[in-house]
Formats: sequence, C-alpha cells, structure tokens
Amino acid sequence: MQTKKLNKEDRTQMTTSPESPVSESLAEFKNSFAYGTRTDLNFKFLKNLPDADAAQFFQDLLHKLGDTLDDGDLTRVADHVFAWQAKAYAGAGNWRYPDGPFTPLHKPLAAAKVALLTSSGHFVAGDDPEPFGIKGMTQTEAMARIDDFLKEEPVLSVIPRDTPAAQLRVRHGGYDIRSAQADPNVAFPLAHLRDFAQEGRLGELAANAYSFVGACAQTPLLKRTGPQWVKRLQAEAIDAVVLVPV
Amino acid sequence: MATVVIGVAAFRDRLAAMSLPRLVVTPQLMGRPVGAPNDKTRQREILLAALDLLENAQAGKAIVDLT
Repeated sequence: MQTKKLNKEDRTQMTTSPESPVSESLAEFKNSFAYGTRTDLNFKFLKNLPDADAAQFFQDLLHKLGDTLDDGDLTRVADHVFAWQAKAYAGAGNWRYPDGPFTPLHKPLAAAKVALLTSSGHFVAGDDPEPFGIKGMTQTEAMARIDDFLKEEPVLSVIPRDTPAAQLRVRHGGYDIRSAQADPNVAFPLAHLRDFAQEGRLGELAANAYSFVGACAQTPLLKRTGPQWVKRLQAEAIDAVVLVPV
Repeated sequence: MATVVIGVAAFRDRLAAMSLPRLVVTPQLMGRPVGAPNDKTRQREILLAALDLLENAQAGKAIVDLT
C-alpha cells in the first residue's frame, strides 16, 4: 500500500480513501489545531509544545478520559487542559518591563468612577466595528483572517453601561469565543460591575465600557492607539479601570 | 488612573514580567479569565478580588494569585 506525504494542497482539502491514505507527522497534527486543518483555539497552545510534550498531552488526556468514562468526573479533564495551557505559555514572553507605573486610588472605591476595558472583542449589536469594511464578519472568517488582524490597529468598541447581555456580540479570531458568547461575563463582566455599583461598592460605573480585539498590531497599540484611549478615559474623569485581557 | 488586570494562570509569567500595577491571576481556562460561563459566584469573587486590589494595593507589581 502506498502512502503519500501531505503537501500544501492536501492540507486544504484533506481527503482520505483506502486508495490514497495520507501520512501526517506528529508536528503537523499538533500544529493543525492552530489555524490549520483542525483549528480549535482552545487547543492552539499545542503548537507551542515540543512534539514529545504534545504526545504526552494526548496520552495523559486519553488516560484521564478513560477514568472519566467510569465516574463521569470531567474535572480531571479540565484540570489537565488547564495545566497544559500553563505549560505551553510558561515564560516571560516578549513584553518585559523591570518596573512599571503605579497610581494609587486616591479615594475609597465606593466614591470612585470605575470603567471596564477588555480585549475580548465584544461590541453592541448594530454597532459592529466591521473590520476591513466587512459587514457581518463571522467568527470563522475572523479566524481565517487572523494574520490580517495582527497587522491592523485595533478599533475600540464603545458599550453603554446599561447594555444587556442579549445586546452584546463577540468576535475575535484569537481565542475560542464560545464561553464569551454563552456568558459575556467570562471576559466582559459589565453586568457584575453594574451590580457592584448598585450595591454601593463602586461610586459610579463609567457611562461606557470598552472592548477591542486584542489580536491586533501590538506596537501601534502600545505607542499610539492605547495612549489615545487613555486620554479618552482621563477626559471622562475615570478613577480606576478594570482591564481584562483574553 | 488606577488599574487592575484580571488574567488567566496560563499567562501568569507573561503578565508578571510586565510589572503591572495590580494583577489578579485566575484559575481559569483561556478565554474565560473572570470565570466559567454562568458561574456567577466565582465571577463575583474574582472581580471583588480585583476591586480589593484596586483599593488596597500599596505599591506596583501587586499580584493576587487565586490559583
């Protein structure tokens, strides 16, 4: 039986048949979850792992699934994925600062105006930022264009503080948004901050919350766009900001 | 403006290396730093830890690790 090695065309149109089975290396397999043939952003971290580690991940996962088939406890599976996500992203990364600024909150929280800013890609229904001029871009399309997003300056979506969850939308090609779709509070906790304001824990919730797609050109964000956003928040007399990166 | 970042444990090293003013590290999977969907209790706990850090941190690089 002859086998053929995957080429680029094969990767985009994978078919298998008894007549022409394809071979795939472990590296190709694990990388396929990160914007490849098996894209699954919950597992894109596999691309960061050495092949041997990726193999260990799958071996241990299957073993734990075996136990779970008996007792139904999925906690061990979630813990396994959690541990390996941490392993895959361990290390200081590219953005290292030996020191950073610190601004004390000069008043009690119960007297402070607090804002929310997230990189989760949320926006209000009817106010789609329409990246690249595209109306109604789907999550799948966003994932397919991740390289384009990473070259673009981000757009800040303005979300009035009273926006109900049903009016929130999310699209972000850099992470699995299913949780954020099911419950915006996992990454855009505006409803909770509204509650805290009503409970008197905050002096005031800012009139608007903000969100953008964090998968964007990082240097312009750092040097130009981010500082513009800071000025906007300062103009609103915001005392404190809760920042949620995804 | 005072700021606090809420981030998942997978990014702990990267976030710590940024010397952020205040950081809450959460035991959550990627994509859900404030908690699992509809786990309101846990989400509130995480946010209250962040708000506490906003109000009470005395210096930068303040980290609360909830893992």
